[in-house]
Amino acid sequence: MEKREATMSSWNPERKQSSRFRHWPASWRRLTLRLLQWTDSLPLVGWDSHLSRIFFLLLLFVVSAQGVTPNPEACLVSSSVNGSSISCQPPAQIPKSLPADTIFLAVEFFNLTQLPADFLQGVPNLQELHLSSNRLENLSPKFLLPVPQLTVLDLTHNSLTRLPPGLFRVSAALCTLVLKENQLKFLEASWLHGLKALQHLDLSENQLQSLPPGLLENFTDLLTLDLSNNQLQTLPPDLLRGPLNLERLRLEGNRLQVLGERLLAPQPKLRYLFLNDNRLASVAAGAFRGLQKLDMLDLSNNLLTTVPTGLWTSLGKAARNLKDGFDISSNPWICDQNLADLYLWLVANEDKMFFRNHTRCAGPEALKGQMLLAVAESH
Amino acid sequence: MADAEAGKKIFIQKCAQCHTVEKGGKHKTGPNLWGLFGRKTGQAPGFSYTEANKSKGIIWGEQTLMEYLENPKKYIPGTKMIFAGLKKKSEREDLIEYLKRATSS
Repeated sequence: MEKREATMSSWNPERKQSSRFRHWPASWRRLTLRLLQWTDSLPLVGWDSHLSRIFFLLLLFVVSAQGVTPNPEACLVSSSVNGSSISCQPPAQIPKSLPADTIFLAVEFFNLTQLPADFLQGVPNLQELHLSSNRLENLSPKFLLPVPQLTVLDLTHNSLTRLPPGLFRVSAALCTLVLKENQLKFLEASWLHGLKALQHLDLSENQLQSLPPGLLENFTDLLTLDLSNNQLQTLPPDLLRGPLNLERLRLEGNRLQVLGERLLAPQPKLRYLFLNDNRLASVAAGAFRGLQKLDMLDLSNNLLTTVPTGLWTSLGKAARNLKDGFDISSNPWICDQNLADLYLWLVANEDKMFFRNHTRCAGPEALKGQMLLAVAESH
Repeated sequence: MADAEAGKKIFIQKCAQCHTVEKGGKHKTGPNLWGLFGRKTGQAPGFSYTEANKSKGIIWGEQTLMEYLENPKKYIPGTKMIFAGLKKKSEREDLIEYLKRATSS
């Protein structure tokens, strides 16, 4: 550490290099200076530090001149007027310090179980942090304090079982939080305190069995919520209370048995609703009441045998509805009089129907195996 | 046999949050994909790509998309696209079949 600091003070990049590179275009000079400062700080053990800097620079300019795949042994560095972008995957080494103007940082596919305590020290302008495919088990509660301007945090495919209290204390700018493919078995609403501006929340592919009440109550700007591929058996009826304009709700791949009357009531402007691959046997008659902007409804691969009268007519009311389509395939439909409403609706909307060939009657015996649409048309 | 209908559903569920496909469709978090096939990486007009994407230098087609969509961050290290990938070959084939049709006339 001391040796590195001595090197930095005795070799002032700006003084020396400004004369060496004075004939270069200004943007190249700036990039060079930044890179020299950065390479100065790299842990290039065993190399002559001066040679290694030259090597890195040459490498980078060759690369940018020819547009070829960069050397996999080095982190990818690029520079724009807004700041530096650093992207590291093995076999590159994780840099010990980062350029002060870093706005984008990706450190992915390493086997890190922890991050160094001062990992984000010195990069106050950081906007995007991509940490996917590591093995992070714990995050320090202070880990995000140095980066209050963070807008994107991707923690996909790590080993998190919980989040520390106060993690997002200064994360009022965070727009996108991805916790996909971790090991969360439960959530506490307090873990997410501070995320005032959150628009996209991805909690998919965890092991969540239930959700706490009031989870989203402060997320007024939330646009998308992904809870798919967990183990949710029930949902708190007030789950969607809070956001003012939720657009996409992904609940596919859970163990939901019932879709209640109240769940969707707070979100009349919902556009995409994925409930496929659950165990839904019962949908309340008013479940879709008031959905005025629904573009896609997926109820496929559930245990639906019938639906209550009035369920589908409420979907037909808004002129905009179901522009992208609907899917009710792979359900054990009993094609009797109880489906009369559905038949009418199907015939009127068949152009938007996904997987007609897989939407068939499971009963009564006489109609077993028939296409639902065919039965509806002949009704 | 690739199923474009299944591919459309995959697109709506997993891609449409950030991408549009139609001609003249708007850029969102990700670029509009009209004209994708046969085009070099990072070339949708008006979108601000990462340097990594722009300099990948391949042409988008069935094979490159098969590889990319399995693990985007491995195929284009440094990409800002947040998508873990589609592990199932059949899902990628379906999605690519849909994209072939939806992004060209």
